[in-house]
Amino acid sequence: MSVSLPVVYTIRGCDACVKLLDKWQAEGMAFEERRVETSQVLMDEARRYGAMVPIVVWPDGRVEQGFEGHISCFII
Amino acid sequence: MPRDTSVVTPERFAEGLTYAEFLAQATVNADKFEHYHRTSPLTADDLAFFAEAVARPDGLAKIMAIAEAWCGDVYRELPTVARIAEASGAELRIFLREQNPDIMDEFLSNEGQSRAIPVVVFYRRDHRYLTHFTERAAVAHQDLADAQAAVTADLQLPAGTKLGTAPQDQRQAFIAALIARIEPRLPEWQRAAIQEMRSLLATALKTTEAAAGARVTA
Repeated sequence: MSVSLPVVYTIRGCDACVKLLDKWQAEGMAFEERRVETSQVLMDEARRYGAMVPIVVWPDGRVEQGFEGHISCFII
Repeated sequence: MPRDTSVVTPERFAEGLTYAEFLAQATVNADKFEHYHRTSPLTADDLAFFAEAVARPDGLAKIMAIAEAWCGDVYRELPTVARIAEASGAELRIFLREQNPDIMDEFLSNEGQSRAIPVVVFYRRDHRYLTHFTERAAVAHQDLADAQAAVTADLQLPAGTKLGTAPQDQRQAFIAALIARIEPRLPEWQRAAIQEMRSLLATALKTTEAAAGARVTA
């Protein structure tokens, strides 16, 4: 996948997702959010990268799951 | 949970989604709900137990579930609850967690910190609360704890490392190894969830019958 912004896969109501987005927004960081509960295409896409949201795919290809020990949500 | 002042009144209960309505509104995991409904590990003995619970004069009549379709524990367990309702005649109503925060707040777990789902709540015909089951069976929680400890040792991480605290540069490996360990255990988790719901319900029905008997004796 070619991206210029970090892509973050989230779920509405996921504690760790909310905390991560709050932090990024406070820092003024640009990113693309993809809400995986809104479509099967996005759900399947997220599962290719991990099992637990938030999942961050950085422009250099690095993938991170979860956020600072906050309660994350399994999607498998 | 303040059961005498629950926000889940009989009227509110009736506003919940049927299983068919829940599936119709779900935007993800239709294949998984279908699979787990078709392959639910309910036995004839399980179905007889729930049917008998419903047949009691003051027995089980309603089941409420709090759920979201994206959640793995929900798509593994809710289809079984639907099968129980279908076979026993209990009325099942489902509430979406994100649209019903007041209901979720009554069933928080982990000392009030977690909004874990599914929550499955059992009621009598007159809507009195019987008992409820949350998220997954005790054996599943133990499996997760054991798997985290094993993966921590395998990756030579500090003892006590958990899913959320594994270093980010090793978290992908940590989660992949964890999933590999727990996936073979998922069928057992499903069976254990059924056993746990049976046990909770049997205890609740027995307790209330004993109380009723005591009142009669007195």
